[in-house]
Amino acid sequence: MLRFGLRSKFILLSCFLFLLPWLGYEYVWEMEKFLRQGQEKTLVGTTRALATALHERPALFDEQTNFLDQVVKGRDLYAYNLKNPIQLDGKLNDWDSYQPLFWHYDKRYLQKTDNKHQASDLSFDHMVGKFDNYLYAVFKVTDNTLIYRAKNSLSITNNDYLQIGLKTPDGQFNTYIIAPRQDGWINAFDANTKTPFTKIQGYFESTESGYNVELRFPINMLGNKLGFAIVDVDNKEALLEPKIMSTSNLNNPNDLGSVLVPSPEISRILKGMGHSGSRIWVVDNHHRVLAQSGTIQNADGVWADGLANQAPETWWQRFEQNYLHPIYYKILTRPENEFLDTLHDVASMQGTHLAKALKGQPASSWRLTPDSKAVILSAAYPIWIQDQVIGAVIAEETTNGVRTLRNKSLEKLFNVILAVMLIGTVTLFFFASRISSRIRRLRDTAEQAIDAQGRVTGSINYSDANDEIGDLSRSFSNIVSRLGGYTDYLENMSSRLSHELRTPVAVVRSSLENLQSLPQNELSQKYLDRASEGVKRLGKIITTMSEATRLEQSIQSNEPEPFDLQKVINGCMQGYQLTYPNHLFALDVCQSKLPMQGAPEFIAQLLDKLINNAMEFSEANTAINVSLMQTENKATLTVSNTGPALPDGLTEHIFDSMVSVRSQQMQQQPHLGLGLYIVRLVCDYHKGSVTAKNNEQGDGVVFAVSLPLHN
Amino acid sequence: MKKIAIIEDEPAIRENYIEMLSLQGYQVSGFADRASAEVAFKNALPDLAIVDIGLGHEIDGGFLLCQTLRSLSKTLPIIFLTARDSEIDTVCGLRMGADDYLTKDISLAHLAARIGALFRRMEALAQPADANALITRGQLTLDTQRMQVFWQQQLVDLTVTEFWMLHSLAQRPGHVKSRNDLMSDAKIYVDDSTITSHVKRIRKKFVALDSTFDCIDTVYGMGYRWEQH
Repeated sequence: MLRFGLRSKFILLSCFLFLLPWLGYEYVWEMEKFLRQGQEKTLVGTTRALATALHERPALFDEQTNFLDQVVKGRDLYAYNLKNPIQLDGKLNDWDSYQPLFWHYDKRYLQKTDNKHQASDLSFDHMVGKFDNYLYAVFKVTDNTLIYRAKNSLSITNNDYLQIGLKTPDGQFNTYIIAPRQDGWINAFDANTKTPFTKIQGYFESTESGYNVELRFPINMLGNKLGFAIVDVDNKEALLEPKIMSTSNLNNPNDLGSVLVPSPEISRILKGMGHSGSRIWVVDNHHRVLAQSGTIQNADGVWADGLANQAPETWWQRFEQNYLHPIYYKILTRPENEFLDTLHDVASMQGTHLAKALKGQPASSWRLTPDSKAVILSAAYPIWIQDQVIGAVIAEETTNGVRTLRNKSLEKLFNVILAVMLIGTVTLFFFASRISSRIRRLRDTAEQAIDAQGRVTGSINYSDANDEIGDLSRSFSNIVSRLGGYTDYLENMSSRLSHELRTPVAVVRSSLENLQSLPQNELSQKYLDRASEGVKRLGKIITTMSEATRLEQSIQSNEPEPFDLQKVINGCMQGYQLTYPNHLFALDVCQSKLPMQGAPEFIAQLLDKLINNAMEFSEANTAINVSLMQTENKATLTVSNTGPALPDGLTEHIFDSMVSVRSQQMQQQPHLGLGLYIVRLVCDYHKGSVTAKNNEQGDGVVFAVSLPLHN
Repeated sequence: MKKIAIIEDEPAIRENYIEMLSLQGYQVSGFADRASAEVAFKNALPDLAIVDIGLGHEIDGGFLLCQTLRSLSKTLPIIFLTARDSEIDTVCGLRMGADDYLTKDISLAHLAARIGALFRRMEALAQPADANALITRGQLTLDTQRMQVFWQQQLVDLTVTEFWMLHSLAQRPGHVKSRNDLMSDAKIYVDDSTITSHVKRIRKKFVALDSTFDCIDTVYGMGYRWEQH
């Protein structure tokens, strides 16, 4: 049976203290929600501020956005901002980091549909980029037969070549052709005049599967339209019509794809906003990014400002950082600056917030990074020109600032809660310990106040405490003292009864004796004799009743003296053998000295009672076994006889006063069951113990008295 | 004719005793309480007083009366005859100067014998010592006529019961006297432990005179004997 003490119950109850951190956590969580809303509003505010700077400035957008109805990927080009300079060497390792941005052109982009076309015949990967006033373009062409321009050929089209079509800022449509003679540095030719055009320069390098072309030209010669075409001539004799794969139709200036170059003008404006702690984009209404500023990794808003980790200064801060924070951060997550960002260097933005903004509504959205390490908040605000949305400003921030803020407050909250719980639990524990120890003490004293036989052995020291436990101890003490009084009353019952009976018995006896001195006839003499006999027995009962009391009294007044137990027992046994020659005694008494402290007469009386008892119950012609031996510091005296077994449940109580297990036949003599009570009194006086049990065969009884020896 | 006063609050017992003792040839007067007895004693003292301890509403009236009687006469034999048999009462009673302490379960014959013994002793005290009545056991001298005991020529102040018990032991030195023997010799009917305490008291009285006294030997389980060295 599982037992819950007061202390464990208290500890269980104090577990409710653990609700505190949960409540605190919930609270901080709510707070974080508000902070996030705040951040959202702030971010929308940021976008609005920037959008305000861009409203009604068509000049900024005219060049960039041609009010196309739609933008087609692959046809409409986007010049990414390149972060590193490109070395024109035909090797593509400069472009490695932009690899995902390469657009693959396959047979869909052939000028003439050719179902038999295979990827190995002609296809290319391409991207354009902007770096430092130059527009760069790269082509990774797959071509199974590479045909260079012949050395002496004036024609520049009887070979594999690259055609460039563009509109200048003033609207002029120009076409240029790059037709290399060999691998190496290349320049373009003006397609109309067939004169070299050195502003477009590049590098050509053949590869196993085709060739690579890198080229660049100044960005200021480019308007908002640009197209490239790879023309594949598979034999010099021009028997086959050359295959043309192009980004857009270069033959018709109107079909030319647009190009979007991140606007330096808008970038400049954005740069001013770059210190806002957000990543900001400006997109046109085709979702194409016109300008970008800031990186998302650093964009945590302004929320975490001033919360940067400082080196711990005090011991408490050190302790907090070294021991507490590792625990806290098992639950909390530290916002990380290293996370995947899908929008890194994208040409076109997507998202509900943007879609909404382009419809004229400011909006914001939350999204989780693909690696779930950060939550990014985006806000978009439309840019208006003459009641038309021309683009949108998008600002993005991570929630790291808010999360840092939340973590900081949770740290503080946890500190407080930890202290409260610690103090609370310790206090409760001590409180519970104190209460339970008081109750245990009370229990122990209550148990000690009454011995195994149910006698009241002492009083309870009650406590003065002015509480329920004090009350309890006082009432316990009260009960025990009243119980003690009642037990006393019961114990003195026999002596008082004998005292009260003595006077009437004396009346009867003296009257009978007086009567006897008168002359009697035979009949009255007979009755007189019977009456005298009855009075004699009554007198005997009275004497026996007071015997135990008197023994108690003499025990109280007796001063212990040293004596030899062995001598007493041996002497007594010799006496019994003389006194009761008809009984058999089997002796096993040790002959060494057994020094004891006490009263030898009482011991003799004890043995008297035990032998009497044994003789009364023993069967005829069976021996009474008496043994005395020394075990360590104790002497053990056993008296055993064959005869009726002790009834169950009475073995403890036969040593009580006025308890007798005699059958009716044995009740010829008046008997009050005081013999074994006297045995126990004597044992108690000598600080010994007495037990009675049936022997192993079950055909007799063994009394064992254990008495401490005194050396 | 010897005059005996019985102070007993129980009329039946008082009357019985008066009648019985009158038949024995004593002149007996009975009193129910201490006041009436004291008034009577101021006029004339009896030759022997039998006193109950509890007298009417006075629980210890007998003790007070005993003190009064002792102040009136140092030699008047006083017997306590009471229902109280506790050790304390016995000791108290004998310390008050009573010559004997008897409990009410005593038979009338026994009581008469005790009274007779006390009167004999009183008479003996008045007579010169008779050499034949002296029993000498080493340093012990018992004067059976005067019921006096001397140890090393010093008087040992024993009660009548104690005297008879000692007498029983000393008569046959070395012989074990069981408690029953002692009881019948001292003509008392009490339980074994009372005998034990009587013997103890006798020993104490001797030891008070001579700390090396060890002539009364306990034979455990059997009784006592006078051990002569």
